Amino acid sequence: MDTKTIISLTVSVVLIGWAFWFVSAKPSADDGARASTASIIDGTQFIDIAAKGGYTPRVVVAKAGVPTILRVATNGTFDCSASLVIPKLSYQKFLNPSGIEDIAISAEEAQGTLQGLCSMGMYGFKIRFE
Amino acid sequence: MVLTEDSNRKTYTFHVSGTHCAACAVLIEQILAEQAHIGSAKVSLSNRQVVVTGEFAGSPEEIAAELTKLVQSHGYIIGVEKSAHQAGWGDFVYAAPIALVIIAAFLVLQRAGLTSLITGSNVSYGTAFLIGLIASVSSCLAIVGGLVLSLSASSAKEGGTWRTIALFHAGRLGGFFVLGGAVGLLGNSLHLGLTANIVLGVIVALVMLVLGVNLLDVFHFTKRFQLTLPAAFSRHIARGAKRHDHLLAPVLIGIGTFFLPCGFTQSMQLYALSTGSFMTGASIMLVFALGTLPMLALLSFGSLNIAHKSWKGIFFKTAGIIVIALALLNLANALATAGIINPFVNF
Repeated sequence: MDTKTIISLTVSVVLIGWAFWFVSAKPSADDGARASTASIIDGTQFIDIAAKGGYTPRVVVAKAGVPTILRVATNGTFDCSASLVIPKLSYQKFLNPSGIEDIAISAEEAQGTLQGLCSMGMYGFKIRFE
Repeated sequence: MVLTEDSNRKTYTFHVSGTHCAACAVLIEQILAEQAHIGSAKVSLSNRQVVVTGEFAGSPEEIAAELTKLVQSHGYIIGVEKSAHQAGWGDFVYAAPIALVIIAAFLVLQRAGLTSLITGSNVSYGTAFLIGLIASVSSCLAIVGGLVLSLSASSAKEGGTWRTIALFHAGRLGGFFVLGGAVGLLGNSLHLGLTANIVLGVIVALVMLVLGVNLLDVFHFTKRFQLTLPAAFSRHIARGAKRHDHLLAPVLIGIGTFFLPCGFTQSMQLYALSTGSFMTGASIMLVFALGTLPMLALLSFGSLNIAHKSWKGIFFKTAGIIVIALALLNLANALATAGIINPFVNF
């Protein structure tokens, strides 16, 4: 291994690291997007999430200990985000390409951070119950 | 070096480079033994030597060159001297930046919002083709494309031919047609449950990791992890392989891609299921598979083509780095889906 090789390898490792950082789930960026879409109607909390090429919004801040309905809307969704997994709730479902899926979260389950993912893991969203 | 001399029959021992598998040894033995002037040939995989007995003329160097010509097309070189293992670190000067650019382009592409090109929920054949095209360059590229790249580059490296790759694609298209039809007819989805999905994702990631490290050709230890078949079985395959290539394995792998954890494939299966008819389900899955074909054909036939170019060393290392990066991505994703680790990426 000569110096040229070592420099090339080092630069590549650093740049690949940067590329992964670029797409990684950044906690600081999450905090910036605190636009909460949770609304409480008659004691039930509703959270709306759109699923297409990922989930929007990516972070939802909601009230803890309130029975919650998570409404996931698909609209011509054929990518991975139609294949929804919520590990904590042991929930997995292939959503219809277009429609709205209601997922009930009980008051006991509405605690801490709930992570939702597509089945391949490259798209995700978080619900933070506070 | 001459070991024995018996009238004009001579026995030589040469060093072979490029042998990785039991089937390679069998293949070389068969090619050499086919020559009229060669009585017998025995390849020893452990010390990478071939012992040939036959009527030879000329110096050992000339004989080695003559024998090399016979097996060169399969990627083997027969020499008098034991060739030192060429790790080819210099290739990384080019391979690493190229791989980086491709990986970065892949990651950026994931954020380009290609999925918004698909509108409406009615799937015409045109839409199915478009979904296939998009699938082959987005998230599914990590798992299906990565697997195709690692398998075809490895196959090309071991002397595979265009026929192996064509069989893989035929298996994939045929599999999608028949299984798509079955889904439509039975009204029962064939996609796997969450646990099976995760297990399959981890297995695919690990296979890609081993193949990727092998493609780098830097470390010796991964050879031990390589999936090697028993010699008797290899001999059986190699007999057919010489003229017919491996027939069954690529077809089965092609069909197997139907079950890979690729979100697009699974959504299309769900749609095929809703059609309730064999022909519609079969056609829609076939058209989807045809949509993925251009990208996958480029990866597989491209690998094969480049494998015979002078800069193949750079290509194999580039492919190795990309495959390893995708394997790690798939592994992290599978573990995140299982809820074991936090999601590593969010496109």
